[in-house]
Amino acid sequence: MRDTAREFRSVTERQSRPNQSVPQSGKSSFPVLCSMQGLTMSTAQPMIKSRQAEKEINGIRTQVVCTEFNNYILVVLTQYGKMGSLVSITADSTSSDVSTPMFSTKVLMGKDEPLTHVCAKNLATRVSQEAGNRPVLLGLALKDTSIEAVKLMRDLITSCQVW
Amino acid sequence: MNVAECDRGALHTITVHDFSARLSEQVIHFHVMRLDGGFLLWVGTSPTLSNLAVSMNSKFDAMPISMLLMGDQSETAPNALAQRLAKKTKKQVFVSYNLPVVNSNLALQVESRIKTEMENHPEHF
Repeated sequence: MRDTAREFRSVTERQSRPNQSVPQSGKSSFPVLCSMQGLTMSTAQPMIKSRQAEKEINGIRTQVVCTEFNNYILVVLTQYGKMGSLVSITADSTSSDVSTPMFSTKVLMGKDEPLTHVCAKNLATRVSQEAGNRPVLLGLALKDTSIEAVKLMRDLITSCQVW
Repeated sequence: MNVAECDRGALHTITVHDFSARLSEQVIHFHVMRLDGGFLLWVGTSPTLSNLAVSMNSKFDAMPISMLLMGDQSETAPNALAQRLAKKTKKQVFVSYNLPVVNSNLALQVESRIKTEMENHPEHF
């Protein structure tokens, strides 16, 4: 709140004295950035929204990081701490607005086997639907791919909803 | 076995780090996700993910191997940046570079800003 107040004051100050030059050299301060960009933006507030969660699933430490982009939701789901395989899940545009769309999966990196596609679809379909059929980029590094575990992982992903 | 591993804290915790810089009259945002043995770096001015390159070192070549996983194959900037960062860090590097490629001077400034951040905050990479 204090930042907003300071920003407002400095913007109005500059407006009342239009001939005063805006400091250009060195590190520009936060209010200067705001007025120059013409939008309220804070350097403390990151441009990319992300949330993460961690849970032990069947005794295996599982981490999730969800990151929101305009055109993608990035979900990293890992039991190794690594990215693992990368799968892209997209809603097919051919279906009408009335019915729920079909989703297609594509392995961009890693093992291109049926199980990867099944897990990816299972985990990311709901994310994409909830995000207005936005494509999902899923990083998968799993030790346990049992259906019980996948269900729990789905809930874990939902717990860090950024969309 | 895995439980014991967890208890010892052997598994890496993913961390996320954001920073920004004013380069060539625009505010460039950076987002880093630190993973075990690697990191993902996103660079851009608006929150879009238009490409993704991956790079890692290989014992067969002095230069790290790099590949574009997503986006326009004619764009070399994400690959080039990923490759240089992989060489520097010896890690698996994912890069999403969302800036106009026409400005090569900006690319250099972006790279030097990343290197500064790596020196000042090595714990985030």
